Amino acid sequence: MSAVRLRSRPSLAVSVLAPLVLIALTVSVGASGTPSLRGTVTTILCEMIIVLGLQVFIGNSGVYSFGQLGFASAGAYAAALLTLPAAFVALQTPGLPNWIADAQLGTVGSTAVVAVACGALAAVVGLPLMRTSTLAIPISTFAFLVVSYNVIANWDRVTGGSGGLVSIPRTTGVVSAGLWAAAAVAVALAYKWSTRGYRLQATREDEIAARSLGIGVTGERLVAFALSGMLCGVGGALAVHQSGVLAPTTFYFVASVTTLTMMVAGGARSVFGAVLGTIAVASVNEVLRGVEGGGQILGLVSIGDTPGLAAIGVGLILLATMIALPNGLTGGREAGELPWLGRLLGRRRTADRAVPRVDPPIGGEKEGAVERAPAGEADALHATGVAVAFGGLRVLRGVDLTLRPGEALGLIGPNGAGKTTLVNVLSGFLRPDAGAVELDGVDVSGRSPSRLARAGLSRTFQGALPFPQLSCLESVAVGAMGVGVRRARAVAIAVDVLDRLGLSERASHPAGSLPPAEQRLLGVARALATRPRYLLLDEPAAGLTETEGEELVAILRGVLDGFGCGILLIEHEMSVVMSLCPGIQVLDDGVTLRIGAPAEIQADPSVIEAYLGRSYLEATNA
Amino acid sequence: MTELAQNLIDALALGSLYALIALGVTLVYSVMDMMNFAHGEFIMLSAYALYVLAGAPFGIALGGALITGVLIALAAELVAFRPVRKADMSAQLVTSLAVATILQNAVMAAVDARPKSVATPTFVSETTTVGSLSVPNLEFVTLGLTAFVLVGLGWLLYRTRAGLAMRAAAENFDMARLLGVRADRVIALSFAISGALAAIVGVLIVMQTGQVSPTMGLTPVLVGFVAVTIGGFGRMLGAVIGGLFLGAASSLLGAYLPADLLPFRDAIVFSLPVAILIFKPRGLLGAATGEARV
Repeated sequence: MSAVRLRSRPSLAVSVLAPLVLIALTVSVGASGTPSLRGTVTTILCEMIIVLGLQVFIGNSGVYSFGQLGFASAGAYAAALLTLPAAFVALQTPGLPNWIADAQLGTVGSTAVVAVACGALAAVVGLPLMRTSTLAIPISTFAFLVVSYNVIANWDRVTGGSGGLVSIPRTTGVVSAGLWAAAAVAVALAYKWSTRGYRLQATREDEIAARSLGIGVTGERLVAFALSGMLCGVGGALAVHQSGVLAPTTFYFVASVTTLTMMVAGGARSVFGAVLGTIAVASVNEVLRGVEGGGQILGLVSIGDTPGLAAIGVGLILLATMIALPNGLTGGREAGELPWLGRLLGRRRTADRAVPRVDPPIGGEKEGAVERAPAGEADALHATGVAVAFGGLRVLRGVDLTLRPGEALGLIGPNGAGKTTLVNVLSGFLRPDAGAVELDGVDVSGRSPSRLARAGLSRTFQGALPFPQLSCLESVAVGAMGVGVRRARAVAIAVDVLDRLGLSERASHPAGSLPPAEQRLLGVARALATRPRYLLLDEPAAGLTETEGEELVAILRGVLDGFGCGILLIEHEMSVVMSLCPGIQVLDDGVTLRIGAPAEIQADPSVIEAYLGRSYLEATNA
Repeated sequence: MTELAQNLIDALALGSLYALIALGVTLVYSVMDMMNFAHGEFIMLSAYALYVLAGAPFGIALGGALITGVLIALAAELVAFRPVRKADMSAQLVTSLAVATILQNAVMAAVDARPKSVATPTFVSETTTVGSLSVPNLEFVTLGLTAFVLVGLGWLLYRTRAGLAMRAAAENFDMARLLGVRADRVIALSFAISGALAAIVGVLIVMQTGQVSPTMGLTPVLVGFVAVTIGGFGRMLGAVIGGLFLGAASSLLGAYLPADLLPFRDAIVFSLPVAILIFKPRGLLGAATGEARV
């Protein structure tokens, strides 16, 4: 199993080493320069830690937060107060509790305390915020930034108020900042490639599909938000020990826009991008800051005293990136996935490497987190009296359905009969107005899609809903991770499922690059990786040629035998339904018209009438 | 009793101002799903028009502010927002943040980072006595303008062809386009109206504070965002309710908060919405653009 990896060894090595090499180069530039350059480089490295903090949340979730600098500010103040000499404490912050004032921690000690405290603060703040929608999160985090600024600037007795703090010990050196930045890179990469990191990335790629795989969106976002708050706090703490002074505006609006620009310019999805973007934007920023007080750019253009010039530059970089290069300098890829870096190092594109085949490690074998008891008599997905109305339109009017493990049931009916609505109810995406759904004898009505997926019910979508930026192997492995399988085993499951569905050749391709028919098949693979007992397929054969349709039937038959799950198949391609399903349920206008074997259904006049109309029936009978 | 009535009138006046900000934000959001960070800068630049035209007759200065708001909004749409119209909501939001940063710091570089005072007509700083109440004239102006804007917007949206096109675009942009609604025109129109609303707000803020500063747009845009969020994205009525709520809360907290907590008023005001969103994650009226149907 060890031979199977989500990325090849050379790619992994380059992805880890490239950001570290960039940091090492930056440190060596600073260490060999003047004291002023040394200070500038140290500040940039501290900023880099904050940008990595932004990347952990924003890059992996795809949801913007404008509040992370609030955690940097909190971390900076906490670090300052924990290390400020007692004499200065009495002078600047008379209201500070004694136990903090007396604390004389070193840089490492105070930074460690800050890391824990900011992580906890972010978890508490995130708890309500992460429950809101993808669009409300940027706004409520922006509100948090303003609130934290307001508190810090007005809590004079503890924070020194709008005047800020001075005489903070300047203990962060360029080498120690570099080491902390390297550690932050390690944390960001480890998170990104962890089970939780993959789950969060899946919600970024497609929230609905992610929920259908057992992923709880709010919980995954909260974990990343707390980790991000921790990194931002550490960055702020180290930065204040570089500058020695701190004000409420140090980590406020301008710093928020600057760090955000660094992340976006590098490519938000990439840790390497965060490192590269920080260095690139900071370099431009430093040049502009140099001429803000009046000076020359490259000895060519003379400029008078112009405050705000650096910020204009940052704004222009951000605007240009959003318009011309939305995925940033790295295209959102890690260093090991960059074709140009691969060519530079004389290697083949890593993406071209097929994943090595392994002996199917699972099949009928029972072990690991997805183990389930063998099918008993009561085991079934059972719906009774399901009714749904959209406004005045009654889409389902009391439908019953029973699906048993190991069986295939076809669900057919003309357009608008209510088939997809029924699947939405069964999979928890839609709460019915009446009726109940039972899973293996347990009432699961009203349970969320992710809980149902973890209980053994998975589904696919008409629109495939791929995870475009993840590779096919990653996409399918996320399916297993979504229901709680460890990463190594999830990869093994994914390799096996891809192999059974004939998608092994595609393993390393981005899911978004597949043709639509294969994307739909990949959706089946993804759902299968959750090891479901019940699998609901919404038109998997749409757009397939006749030959491909036959292949799909063979694949699904293999799924029935090999996985033992029950399959509910919505399909308009009758040859597929008829050859796979021994039982067929016909829906029409929100009610069950008929349940029976394929031959009975084909001969039933009411079914023919529902599909083709009364006139057709009369014409053929005449 | 008198004090209560006085405080309620103040609350209503500030709520009206906030409702005007929220309407400007939601108007653009409803047609192109973009929360516009630069709306605060539209307000700020319109206010600077008053500063630049300080010597001119007040009517001309007002006209200048209005034209500035509209032109800046149209220019930002053309240069920055049109190229990212197809991008997702987050990308548009970040783009507008970039525009806001550029505009704010351009003013800082061109004028000054420090606030500048602007002379306002004496009429607005006087008060009128109504019964036992003495109401600042500016509050009458604010209330009157808000009523005028609400009626005007209602007329535009529900009684004109352009309004019908805007409502159709707000409902389903792609479908409206297929049916012959000209996208560029509808979006430009909503930006122009949004810019005009920003100008009105900018003028009112200058008359209240008597000064302009490059960062004066930050609090208003947060007010607009939060009001739209608690009202429900893309809902005109929700924006008005959200704005009134925030303004009233801010005004009443200012009147009744104990002195040692007074500095934290903004912190409390902007924390309130989170409490609302915990119980109603989609806003008071529910977001107009729901989650994508499965």
